[in-house]
Amino acid sequence: MLLEVISEVLKLIIFAGLALAGILAILIWKKDQKTKVSYLRFFVQAVAMTAFFFIFSYTTQLLLILVVIFALSIFLGRFFCGWLCPFALYLDLVAAVRKALKIRYWNLPDKLNKFLNKLRYALLLFFIALPFILEKIEPWQWSLAKFLMGPFKPISVLLGPVEPLVIPWESSLKLYGINLSYPYASIIAFYAGENLAIITISIFIGLTLASSFVVRRFWCRFCPTGVSFAVLNRFKIFQWIPLLRLNKVEEKCTKCGICKRVCPAQVTDVYEEKGGDITTSMCMLCLRCVEMCPYEDCLKLNMAGKTLFRSRNWLEPSKIE
Amino acid sequence: MTSSSDKKYGIEISQKEAEELRNTIRAASIKVMEEYIERMKKTWPNRPETMQYFYDVAKFFGTREREIQKAKEEGRKVIGYTCMFAPIELILAADAIPVRVSSGFYDPVKLGNRIVPVEVCPVVRSTIGVEMIGLSPYLELSDALITPLTCDGMTKLSEILSDRKRVWTLHPPRLKDSDQSMFFWREELRALKAKIEKLTGTRITAKKLKAAIEVMHKATRAFRRLQEFRKGAPVIMGRDAMLVNQTSMWDDIERWTGKTEELCNELEKRIQEKAWACPPETPRVMIAGSPTIWPDNWKLPNIIEEASPQGVIVADELCSGDRFLFDPVGVDEWTMDDMFKAVAERYLLPSTCPCFTSEDGNEDRVNWLTARIKERQVDGVIYHVFRGCMLYAMEYMRIKKVLEKINVPVYYLDTDYTREDVGQIKTRVEAFLEMLKSRAEF
Amino acid sequence: MIVAGLDMGVQNVKVVLLKNGEILSHGMAPSGFEPEKAVEQAFQEALKRAGIAYNDIAHVAATGVGVELAPHVDSKISVVSADARAAVYMYPSARTVIDVGAEESRVIKCDENGAVLDFALNERCAAGAGAFLEAMARAIEVKLEDMGRLSLKARGTTSISATCVIFGESDVVSLIHKQEPKHEIARAIYDALAERIVSMVYRVGLKPDVVLVGGVAKDVGFAAALKRKLETEILIPQNPEYAGALGAALYAMENLRGDKNGRRQL
Repeated sequence: MLLEVISEVLKLIIFAGLALAGILAILIWKKDQKTKVSYLRFFVQAVAMTAFFFIFSYTTQLLLILVVIFALSIFLGRFFCGWLCPFALYLDLVAAVRKALKIRYWNLPDKLNKFLNKLRYALLLFFIALPFILEKIEPWQWSLAKFLMGPFKPISVLLGPVEPLVIPWESSLKLYGINLSYPYASIIAFYAGENLAIITISIFIGLTLASSFVVRRFWCRFCPTGVSFAVLNRFKIFQWIPLLRLNKVEEKCTKCGICKRVCPAQVTDVYEEKGGDITTSMCMLCLRCVEMCPYEDCLKLNMAGKTLFRSRNWLEPSKIE
Repeated sequence: MTSSSDKKYGIEISQKEAEELRNTIRAASIKVMEEYIERMKKTWPNRPETMQYFYDVAKFFGTREREIQKAKEEGRKVIGYTCMFAPIELILAADAIPVRVSSGFYDPVKLGNRIVPVEVCPVVRSTIGVEMIGLSPYLELSDALITPLTCDGMTKLSEILSDRKRVWTLHPPRLKDSDQSMFFWREELRALKAKIEKLTGTRITAKKLKAAIEVMHKATRAFRRLQEFRKGAPVIMGRDAMLVNQTSMWDDIERWTGKTEELCNELEKRIQEKAWACPPETPRVMIAGSPTIWPDNWKLPNIIEEASPQGVIVADELCSGDRFLFDPVGVDEWTMDDMFKAVAERYLLPSTCPCFTSEDGNEDRVNWLTARIKERQVDGVIYHVFRGCMLYAMEYMRIKKVLEKINVPVYYLDTDYTREDVGQIKTRVEAFLEMLKSRAEF
Repeated sequence: MIVAGLDMGVQNVKVVLLKNGEILSHGMAPSGFEPEKAVEQAFQEALKRAGIAYNDIAHVAATGVGVELAPHVDSKISVVSADARAAVYMYPSARTVIDVGAEESRVIKCDENGAVLDFALNERCAAGAGAFLEAMARAIEVKLEDMGRLSLKARGTTSISATCVIFGESDVVSLIHKQEPKHEIARAIYDALAERIVSMVYRVGLKPDVVLVGGVAKDVGFAAALKRKLETEILIPQNPEYAGALGAALYAMENLRGDKNGRRQL
């Protein structure tokens, strides 16, 4: 019993340490801003993915993991989405391949994008309500599903993106005895049933990876986990807590539109808002806009008021402070 | 070319008269340019050696003209442009030579007055006059002219010039914020790209466009670096900086970049040695409004920097000055699609030309002005407007209100392409500089 | 110590002498074609009135449109700054100064120290200054010195164009043909000039107290018209045409006082 508690605490520490690592990395990297933010992010994402794997190897206390992620997000907003989410890592890797092949991306028409932004709330509601609705159909199975016990029950759809590629428990996808998985695969398997599991999972994998060749960060625009952070931060009590905020200095902005164009989530607020705090619920803090803004000190990432990262004249090679 | 019966405006003038005038005005302009350069040298005796390069480029009817002539003989095309909206990257990507053809000569205005009324913008009247007698080497050497239809004057100038030159119009939308505007502007540039490709016989590939964008990145970097030196105590005199800025419009851009970097290196040394170009307490002036194009329009900058009390021009909000290479093209992924979008956006969105209108009252311009005033510690703004320039004139009240709020005095100076008002301008500028000086002393 | 202020006006050269900050005397001479002679003459007049010699003057400051032509001058100052100083010296509550000269007019906003906060000049055209009145007086065949008093008799039944001397003149001619009485036309002329001045005032912002200086300030007709248009009291000093020279003299004193080592360089 004691061992379990200790291991749980250890996991917590690893997790918290992960988030801190991300912030620390930014601080250290800030000293010499020659490295692109995207490289830094890859690094942090990879570390996060490995960490998640280890966590799942040691514990199946999903509720705990979920709570920790949520607690973190209260303080860091959607930092998780931009820097710690493993699913995002896969999407970004595919996008990197796309870039190397010089395949252009397509922007969703603005109206469709805004619609998806609203739709995601409905989707979240749907997934959470699903087990309760289905309980009417087959009571005994679904009552199990309502609790976050055992590996990946439906309500834990929120942990979908975190699901590692190699899992320590039984999976529908087996290769040479190794249990393979993919974000949301276990949940899909649970709902699809034995026979259709592999096909549906394969289709899902195909679609999500293919989408990265076409649209940037497509899944992230309606990911239930992502939107649940947004929901959390919408509550008035939590609104002032997120320490990480995107800020714009009105005077320096020339409305050149670069920030809007390079944003993988097609957030337009960063361009349209005049100045001050411009953090939105769709922004994943990937910092591409801040990196690409060519005017010194115009866009910045602030943590509790202190600037961690600011836009600079990227035509100049950076100076080491 | 159209036959004379097809000419719309009849900007015809007898060969003999044209030649006479061309020679007279050319000789007079050469004298004026040399005189102004001497005056700049006199005000800044301890200037860096590199400045001589820029003085040489600025002397029209000289080496640069011959260089372009030679390039033409070797098969390259020259594409002129009348306004900052023309996308230089596209011209460079097609191996053509970009050159700005806005006229800064006072005397040809008399000829322009034969075609259009005197109430019309003097830059337009001068350009017409210049075309009539073939005075400007850059205008004559252009195989095509890109004429953005920004203000009324530019729009009609484009028509008038089309009598004698191949003119490609570009239509920047007056409202830049909407999606339709961006779409339309991109389509305009796509059409322009096709015309450039046809004229030069070179296809603008992704590779070429990337190279062109990178050339302009280096130029923007040098340009911005130079303006950094105007932020603190004056290590470079305003007229010289303005001349360096303007020469980027005529010179070979890569060579210009190299020389400007050299100049910046010299200026770095001066900062360490504290070798100021003029006393640090000199009132710091910003010129905003209609462009002051070399050579004759150095009238106002000369007065400011030679007045007693002396002023130093530390900033300007002119499309012939600090705005020209201020914004870079921000490319996300180096695909043809993204590069083209980036170029299109760069030429439309950050532009603070008053030809735009918006619900927030062209706030972009207000923000740009305010940011420059703060970073260069500007003491006062001279709002320079040509007679007939509706756009700048009408924005004056808005700018005045904003500047009053941040406690920066602004003086409305209305002038023309004439030397007759030098005395009057001097009175006003000196009174203004005295006011700035006494404000600083309190 | 004694200082001198010299105003190189278009029509007249004016000199004001100050002794220890108090006005000692003044002198004037027509500018003509020889500025050096005019300056000498003006100085002679002022020196004679004061009973001192030229060498008694410690510092000479000059101002005015023709300031470039002034001989033997220790420092220079613009008319705008000079007017502001003079106005506040004469009326410490002065905050808006209107100077209407022969060919140039100015409106200056100043603070309690006589420092200039903002200013406006008439743009390039003599219709906003005394030359307009001269031309109009000729048109109605009245002596300029008499036109002012004549206009006071009028009730304001007519008006003329305020934009241009040429247009104004043709307006006047048509009024004469309509047999409009001379005093009404005279008043209309002053109203037109006042209108132009008032538009300059609003560019700069009206703040009491308003002081009127310059040669045209002596004209009662103009003063009345300006008071009417501005709807406020106007302070007019005794010798308003000497304001520029007085301001220059005050500046000369500042120069002497401010620098213990002698002459302060501009």
